[in-house]
Formats: sequence, C-alpha cells, structure tokens
Amino acid sequence: MSEVRPVPLNLRNSRILPIRFEYYEPTSLDEALELLDKLGEEAKVLAGGTDLIVKMKMRALEPKHLINLKRIPNLNYIVSDSESIRIGALTTWSDLEKSDIVKNELPALYDAVKAMGSLQIRNMATLGGNICNASPAADSAPPLLVYDAKVKVVSKQGVRVIPLTEFFLGPGVTALRSNEVLTEVVIDKHNVSVGSAFVKISRVATDLAIASAAVMIKLKDGILEDVKIALGSVAPTPVRAKSLEAALVGRPAKLEEVKQYLNLLEKDIKPIDDVRGTAWYRREVSKVLVYDAFLKALNRLGGCSL
Amino acid sequence: MTAWSFLGSKTLRKDSLAKVSGALKFTNDLEVPGMLIGRIFRSPYAFADVKRINKERAERLGAVVITPDDVPQKLYNPRLVSVHEVTFKDHQVLTKRPRFVGDPIAAVAASSEELAQRALELLEVEFENIRKPILDPFEAMSPDAPPIHERIMKGDKWVEVKNNVGAELTYSEGDVDEAFKKADVVIERFFKTGRRYHMQLEPKAVLCVPHTDGSITIYTTTQTIHNTRILVSQIFDLPESKVNVVKVPIGGSFGSSIQTNVIVPIAVALCLKARKPVKIALTREEDMYDHVGFSMHFRIKAGATKEGFLIGGEFENIIDIGAHQVQPYPLLGTSLGWFVSLYKWRNIRYVGRAVYTNKVPGCAIRGYGAPEVTWAVETIVDELAEELKIDPLEFRLRNYVGKGDIFWGQGPTVRSVIKSDGVPELLKEGSELIGWSSRGRPEDKKGRFRRGIGVGRGFHTSGAGGPISGEVIDYSGAVLKVNEDGSIDYITALQDHGGGTLDAHVKIIAEALGVPPELINVVWSDTSTTPYDVCTHASRGTYVGGAAALKAAEIVKQKIFEYAVRVLGRVVNPEALKIRYDRELKQAVIYVEGNPDLKITLKELATIAWQRNWGTIAAVVTHRATSAPPSFTVWFVEVEVDTYTGKVRPVRVVAGADIGTVINKDLAEGQLHGGFAMGWGMAVAEDTPYNPTTGELLCRGFITDYKIVTAQDMPKVEDFKVLFAETYEPTGPFGAKGLGEAASNPVAAAVANAIANAIGVRFYELPITPDKILKALKERGEWFE
Amino acid sequence: MKRVVRFKLNGEYVEAEVEPNELLINLLRDKLHLTGTKYVCGIGECGACTVLIDGKPVLSCITLAVDVNGKEVVTVEGVSKDGLTPVQEALMEEGAIQCGYCLPGFVVMGEYLLKERMEVSEEELREALRGNLCRCTGYVNIVKAFKKAFEKRGLKS
Repeated sequence: MSEVRPVPLNLRNSRILPIRFEYYEPTSLDEALELLDKLGEEAKVLAGGTDLIVKMKMRALEPKHLINLKRIPNLNYIVSDSESIRIGALTTWSDLEKSDIVKNELPALYDAVKAMGSLQIRNMATLGGNICNASPAADSAPPLLVYDAKVKVVSKQGVRVIPLTEFFLGPGVTALRSNEVLTEVVIDKHNVSVGSAFVKISRVATDLAIASAAVMIKLKDGILEDVKIALGSVAPTPVRAKSLEAALVGRPAKLEEVKQYLNLLEKDIKPIDDVRGTAWYRREVSKVLVYDAFLKALNRLGGCSL
Repeated sequence: MTAWSFLGSKTLRKDSLAKVSGALKFTNDLEVPGMLIGRIFRSPYAFADVKRINKERAERLGAVVITPDDVPQKLYNPRLVSVHEVTFKDHQVLTKRPRFVGDPIAAVAASSEELAQRALELLEVEFENIRKPILDPFEAMSPDAPPIHERIMKGDKWVEVKNNVGAELTYSEGDVDEAFKKADVVIERFFKTGRRYHMQLEPKAVLCVPHTDGSITIYTTTQTIHNTRILVSQIFDLPESKVNVVKVPIGGSFGSSIQTNVIVPIAVALCLKARKPVKIALTREEDMYDHVGFSMHFRIKAGATKEGFLIGGEFENIIDIGAHQVQPYPLLGTSLGWFVSLYKWRNIRYVGRAVYTNKVPGCAIRGYGAPEVTWAVETIVDELAEELKIDPLEFRLRNYVGKGDIFWGQGPTVRSVIKSDGVPELLKEGSELIGWSSRGRPEDKKGRFRRGIGVGRGFHTSGAGGPISGEVIDYSGAVLKVNEDGSIDYITALQDHGGGTLDAHVKIIAEALGVPPELINVVWSDTSTTPYDVCTHASRGTYVGGAAALKAAEIVKQKIFEYAVRVLGRVVNPEALKIRYDRELKQAVIYVEGNPDLKITLKELATIAWQRNWGTIAAVVTHRATSAPPSFTVWFVEVEVDTYTGKVRPVRVVAGADIGTVINKDLAEGQLHGGFAMGWGMAVAEDTPYNPTTGELLCRGFITDYKIVTAQDMPKVEDFKVLFAETYEPTGPFGAKGLGEAASNPVAAAVANAIANAIGVRFYELPITPDKILKALKERGEWFE
Repeated sequence: MKRVVRFKLNGEYVEAEVEPNELLINLLRDKLHLTGTKYVCGIGECGACTVLIDGKPVLSCITLAVDVNGKEVVTVEGVSKDGLTPVQEALMEEGAIQCGYCLPGFVVMGEYLLKERMEVSEEELREALRGNLCRCTGYVNIVKAFKKAFEKRGLKS
C-alpha cells in the first residue's frame, strides 16, 4: 500500500487564515445579491464570522469569494407589531439579550441566548448566521422551531419565505440557494406563548449542547391546547418532536402526564455518538430536557398544575 | 509563630505590572530582524514508513526545508532528569517511521507564517507500510502485536523492546500473600484514568538565533533552560559553551515543558541550515498533538485487619506512554513512591510497566502520577473503612505515613524521614468546616439533586533531593550580589512557570538580609550566566531553589558582616553582628544588639565598599537538598449530583495544606484554587479519546472538544475555603515546603468520594462523565421515569 | 488583493495594508507589534485575544483585519494608557496573577464591564467571564479582584 495524502493536521493552522480569497464589502442588499448571483457556489457570505471563520481555519470550507454583509444597513432590528415579531438577520446575540421583546415575548429564545457562548461570541455572532450555519446543536433553532418561525430569504430573483422546519436539511445543509441571503426571521404572534422555555445540557458553561430542548405550550382550562417541542443535537438537524406533541395535545397540563409519554421522543430523534456525548446518553437526557423545559414553561404560565 | 519581616505578608509579584498590562514578552512575542517562521510537517498516519519526500516545490517557493536526512540521526530522550544509565532514548529530531499522528517528519521555514504554511502544503511525502494503530496498552503488550519500537537506547546501550514495554520496574517488601491471608478484609480493584491534556494557555514556542562564531541562542518555552542546553549540545555535537538558552516567561506549563520540547531541536536544525533566526510557535491543535499526560491502568489489592490497620498492598501499574518515551521510567518509581508514602501497607508488591501505543507521547502532568494514584488509593481506603465500619478519617489517621516515618515519594532511590506533618490538624479543621459528621449516608439520600461530601488526602514531595545520590538528578544554584547602593541582583536558572516561585525566593532573600523585596531584582538570566538547575518540577522551586537562594544570602550576609566590622570598629568579630529590616529607613540595617549607636545601613556599607575598593559582596552557590519532604494536602469537597442528567456540580470546597511556613499567602491560595479546577476536570471531564481507525484525536486538537472549566462552573468565592497548617519544616528555607502539585493531587479523589457519598456508586474509570453516572443510576433502576 | 484599513487604535489613528485573509490578531501582533493580545486557541473559544471594537469585547482571532476599517479598536495596551484600571490594580492585589497568559483578555473584559455595568453580582460576573479561560487560578482570585474593582469604583458589588 502506498499513497500520498495531504493531511488535515498539516493543512490546519488556527493562528492564521491559511487560505486566500477575494473579499467584497457590499453596502446594500442589492449589491450583495448581485455579487452572489455572479459568484454562485464559490462564494460565502460573512456575518458574525464565529462559525465561518473557524470553519475556514479548519479548512472545512475554502470559499474563493467572501462577501461581508456587515456594511449593509438595516439588517439589524427586532420589531414587534400586532401580527408578528421580526428579527433582522444581522441582529447579534447581544442585541437579542438586551431586547425586551425577546425577553418578554420569546422567553425560550431568551433562555437560548443566555445559554449560548461567551459574551464575546454573543457580541459577534448573528441570529442569521446561527441559522445558516445549520449546526444540529444551534442554540437558536429549538426555540425558533417551537415558535414556528419562518425565514425570509432573498435573491435577485425574488423573495421566499421558508418555514424553519423545512429550512434545515442536514448538518450544515439548508434550503438556502447559493444566490440567496437570509435576511429576516419572522414569528407570527399567534404561535407565541409566554409558556415557553429552552434548556440545554453541556460539558461546561461555554459549550455546544450535548443536547437541548425547547417547549412551547398553550393552555385552556388546564388542558394542553397547543404543544410544540423541539430538540437540538440529537439528530442531523434540529428537530420537532411531533410524535410527542401529538400525544400531549388535549392532555391535562401536568408533569406526571408529560412523563408518561416521554418515550415517544425516541421516534423523533436520531442521536449519534460523538466527542461530546454518546447516542445513548442523548436519548436518555432528551427526556429530562423536555421535562425540564415543560416545567419551566408551566412555571412561566403561573406555575399551575405541578 | 515567628514574627517575620516579609514572609507571609502580602507583596505584589514582581512581574504583575508587566502581566496585567500585556507588556510581558513570552517566546511567541519575540521577534528579531530577518527571522523566519518554521512549520512542521506532521505524520497523518499513526504508524507508517516514509517512502519518499519531495521537497522541490516547497524549496522553489523559497522555503528552507529539512527532512530526516538533514538532521543528526541520534536517538535522544527529551527529558534529562534521570542519570544517564536509566535514560531511555527513542526520539529522533525528524523521523522516517512515524509512530503517532503528529510525529514530526519534516520542517520548513519561510519569511512569514503564511508562506511557511504554503511551503508545508507543497511538501510531497509518500508513505508505505501503513499499519493499523495500536491504541490500547494491553493490546500493545499482547505477543502478536507489532513492535512500535524494535530497539531503543538505554544510556549508551542498545536494548530490544519486548511486547512494547518501554520500561519496567518491580519492587517488593515483606510478604504480601501472607498478609492477605491474615487480613480480615481484602479488596481488589481495577482503575483507569483519562489521558489529559495540560491545556497550558501558552502553546509551545521556540526562537533560535545563530551567531557568526557558530554559537546559537535559544529562547523557548521551558521549565529547564540548562537541560535544554545540554540536550541541544548532545544532539548537535556543539559544546555547551556555544549554546545559550535564555529564560523567557512561560504561560503555564503543568509539566508540559518539563522536557526539552521536540520543537527545539527542529528549530535548531532549521536555524543551522538557514543560517537565519527561526521561530516555531505551535498552533493549539499542534500543541495537543505534541504532548498530553499519561493515562494509567491500575490493579490494586489491599488488605486490612478488623482493628483498622492496613497490612498489605499489591499494586500493578500499566502506563500508556504513547509513541515515545518522555522518560516515564522515573514515573514507574514515583507511582510506587506515591503509593507507599500515602499509607503504611507494611507488605508491598509492585510491578510497573510503561507501554508504547501509537498515541501522542505522554509527559508529566501536574503531580506526575500522584493525582491518579491518590484517586485510586483514596477510593480503596474509603471502601476499606466502609467495610470495616470505621470512620474514613479515623482510618486515614491510623494508617497514613506521617512524622517520623520513612518517606520516598520520588521513588525507591530517594528516601528521607518526615519532620513536619500537619495532617491531623487539617483533617480535624477541614472536617469541621465542611460538616463531615452530618454528611449522611447515600442510601438515605432521596430526590433528584443529591449532595455528597468526600475527602481526599495526599501529598507531594518538595523536590527530589535526598541524602544519597539516587537515579534522579536534583540540585540548584544561585548567584547573589549586593550592588553599590545596597540593592540586590538575584540570578538563578530556575524558571517560574506561573506560581510565583521567584517571588518566594525574593522574600526568602529579603528575610535573610533585611532588604525589602522592592530592592531585590530578579535577573532574567540564561544558561551562560547561571549555575545549573535541573528543572522547575516536583514542587521543588521554593524548597530547593529557595534554599539555594538562602544559602547564597547567608554567604552574602557573612561578607556584609566582615565589611561592617571594618566600618563599625570596636566590634570584636562578625559574629557579634545582626541584620534586620528597618521599617522607617525602608532598608537593611547591620547592628550590634544592645548597642544602638553601633549600626550602619546596607546602603551606606555597600557604598563605602565600592568607594574604598573593597570589592563586590557576592556569592555563587550550588545546592543539593538532602531530603524531599512531603507537603500534605487534605481536600473536602461537597458535590451535587443531578440524578436525572448525571451532571455533577461543585458546591463547597475546603482545601487544607501543610506547606510549612507560608511565604506568599495569596499566591499559595491561588495554587490551591487552580489545583482544584484542574483536579475537578480530571475527575469529571478531561480525556483525549482517539479515532480507533485513524489514530487521530477525536477533538482534532481543538479546545472546542477539550473542555476545561470556566468561571461559571466553579463554586462561589465564599464557598471555597483554604486552610494552612501551622507547621515548620526544619530542612526548608525558613521552614517552607513546596506546593504546586500537592495543591492538586488529592482533588479527583475527594470529588470521586463525594460522588460516592451522594449517590452510593463508585467509579473506577476517570473521567466520571454524566453518561457514566446516568448509566450507573439506570442500572440500579433509579431514574426519573 | 491588499486593502488599506484605517482605524482608531488605542486612541490613535492608524493605517495598515492588509490582505483579506489577515486576521486582526495578527495585524495587531505582527505588524503593529502589540503582542499583549494573545493567541491561545485560534477558534474563538478562550478569550485571550479579546479586544474592544467600538467599545464591545470581541475575539480578534476570528475577526478579519479588513473588518475594522473605520472602527475603534482598544487592546490591553490601550486600556491602561492613562494608568492602571481598577481591574488591573485589583488583579495585582488579590493574588490573581499566575502565568499571566490569559490576563490581557480578562483586563480587556474588565475595562468593558466596568464601563457597561453599574453593578454586578458574583453570578453575573462569572457569566460575563465564562468566555475567558484560565488554567492556573481556578478563577477564584480573578473573580475576587473583579468584585473588588466594582466595589472600589464606589458601587456595591
């Protein structure tokens, strides 16, 4: 056996960015879309850089063109009206953290913000970046999934609005086309409940999730009228636990009740072994995370029916 | 307690201003004109042969390239600590037979890091005989396992490696089999530890500068400038006088630079070929492929009588050393040393084997096996006490090796007698502070979150000195001179890798001479201007290096007195004189007791000596300690286990330390704080698993997947108590002993025992991850479902 | 293709020619000789390379140099231009200094936190500092020092 293999260890150099690329700094969305349309697959868009630059250092991505979106105005906002809450793609995690809208109306997302990364990372990382990076462990994903969020993606050809459930296709793979930019996250108000929460388990305080879960519930007369459950880091993409949701709708909002059906989670998740945890552990602990998120969500509704 | 002028009081570290302002230059911060940047081509295969290297394309880029054919072929061991006859050599500067993913095969140097990186990527290396990696030491020892090294050198002799056992040590005392027959309780356990990474904040770096006369100057991350010099001189056949190694601040070490780093000879080879300065600074991912700690597999069998006395201990120790020996031979000795010096086993049988695997070479990591051995022994001791229904603290008190006992922590050839011992005091006070008596039994604990309290007791030696010269080299040196204004320059080869060792020396000198620390300058020295010091390791910095400094200060003091006699007149001889610090004058005063008019400040005296041509007051000493006394530590830890997720959280900590005289209290406390964080990581988190097919680290060298604790994972300030025993070590400088490793050694033991107290499960494999805890609880049928 | 970036660095305007793939940390360390900012992990996990950009702490090891054009950057060297900050003083006084490699990151964080927040609890401090790794101190004396710096400023910690 004889072969030549250039190896990852020699290719990696986290002190520098060991690859060259063309760099663009569009100052309008149109300009950015024009560039993307022209450069296609070989271009990547840069937002906070906390995932992209690291992947480039690791040589997991070697784009020939880098389009920095940060000089484009008006992509950083959080607005709420009677219909919906809209968050601009370049909104940083620190902006989310400081937003009363997020804190009061989207408590599961707020939990995720507090659980994500370091203060420095939150200053850099954007919500759009977290979604487009499409890590199965993305902290924003489970909360946004339980709020049935949609993303607005734009290209020269026009605008598409994609439900988040259809956006994630695999680890690092999304429905975003190479000429599109994700510009906004939209959450319809009728999908939102204060009875929502996110919990995460990780090795240390600043870490990717071993597993995470978000729950959103709406109650009517002590009965679960609406239940949304989503998990992170237990499947190739962040996932909704639809089997469990279906079983719980119409049931009394009691933890004992929830507990009985937790095994249904196994139908919705496909965890793997990796360096952060085993598939077995993820499967077991997912149930606890959903349970904990439920408890937290119930408490936020006034702590009824414990 | 003695009233000290400086010891024990708070003083600012000498380097603190440079450190908080970012001005301090570490190796990678250095630059010299015309400097090239080096990069190393590392093996992608865990076990293979290099068939061919084509360097043409890299050279065409303008890079300087070295391959195994360009460097000395000698075998070497990067760690010079044992005497020559027991130094096992299997390293090459660059190798044609890589034995782990990351083994250096070639190196390049170019004018920038990016260019060097490009040159590295243009090297074409062809491999053959690519073998399946052997990652398990037991598999490696099996008769049909291929040899990772066929033969190596032991001193000057070639030795054949059998069953991949790189070094072996056996020992016995008394009759263990007979003891086990007599014992009322015998238990046998198998233990396995993780293979931790030091995660010192500064990745290793080296800068080598050539001079026109053929000499070179080396700046590098090291705990030992002298051993670095000796090794480079041996590999490259240069006289030591042509190799100068400069002491550079080091960003943490924990044993990672106890050896001469393998990047040093590579940088030297590049520098000699390029005839230009060459700097190599490892990336974090390379650093993790450069060194990790050892993992250890133990079988321990222990017997005790129903009266609560140990009567026999059998210890088998298999060390997974990785692909090369960073001198694990003394570790075989110290492992036994930790074992026998923790408790009086009375009858002992030991076999230790250092086994090759195709993994990143293991080197010393804070404690040199003591945290691992202490965890296993403290687990067994707890279990024996439970079995015998004796309070675990009482059992420890009955059996521990303490005052008056023979002690040989650093292995069978380094023995001395214990003269200071704060264990009873620390056990008592610590247990009261933590609330030991109300810790409860695990079977009575209910609910999701369960708390438990555990104890871990241990020690570390203060250096590796002894009354006779054993297999370990251990001596230090110091140069001290009084300047013409009475201020002092202190010159030592001894490195401070962060703990504040040199500030301790300054205080020792200050105490001896009455000169305030701010008038004592620590010179950033090099090998050319200092007597030999072996290494800052084995927690010897304060005890051995401090004693050298004190010895020099005593000589200087005598010379001061001789000069003072000339000035003061009427004084019969130098013995009539004393020296003290004068708080008003803020300087040293030489005086005659009971004769207030007979005095002179050191400043006045030094000036007179200069003006009258008497000569400089100075001393050069070399110092060998004749013992290596244990610094005892006793840890009490309270943990909380989430029985639903298996996550463990530290709740409260009481750290007790017997380090003799405390020289710098806040820095000593800092050692214990940091020791806890490291021991906690060892207990519940840290390991470096491998991909079984490729032999690559699963974390690939990135700290994304080698997690160390953050500020948020540690207990609150008020929940972390530190105690110091009121002891005085008669052999130490002003009664002081070492601390760095004792500060961490029993932590994992205390954490593991606390987990057992919380949930009633003992774990024999580290780290105790949430996964393992949950599995154990589920097996017991106890989970929230 | 090289670009010229102009930005305010530690209070002074600077101009540098950089390649698009050049990182801010290397611009600071290699070209501008400000070596206080440390490379430790290179992937935004440890906080040793923390600098302030427009007043906010970010990680210079994953920031492109071209990206600071027109912005204001403060490094550890700039933090103490007008004398030591309360955090620096407290770190020195509380025995929080061991090897010192992580300290520039903590000092920059301290500068930010003292300006940004009027008071902090220990829990909030620990959360704010969780992105700065230290292997020597177990964070105890570092947290103590930060608390002291907040107290010193005349506000309750």
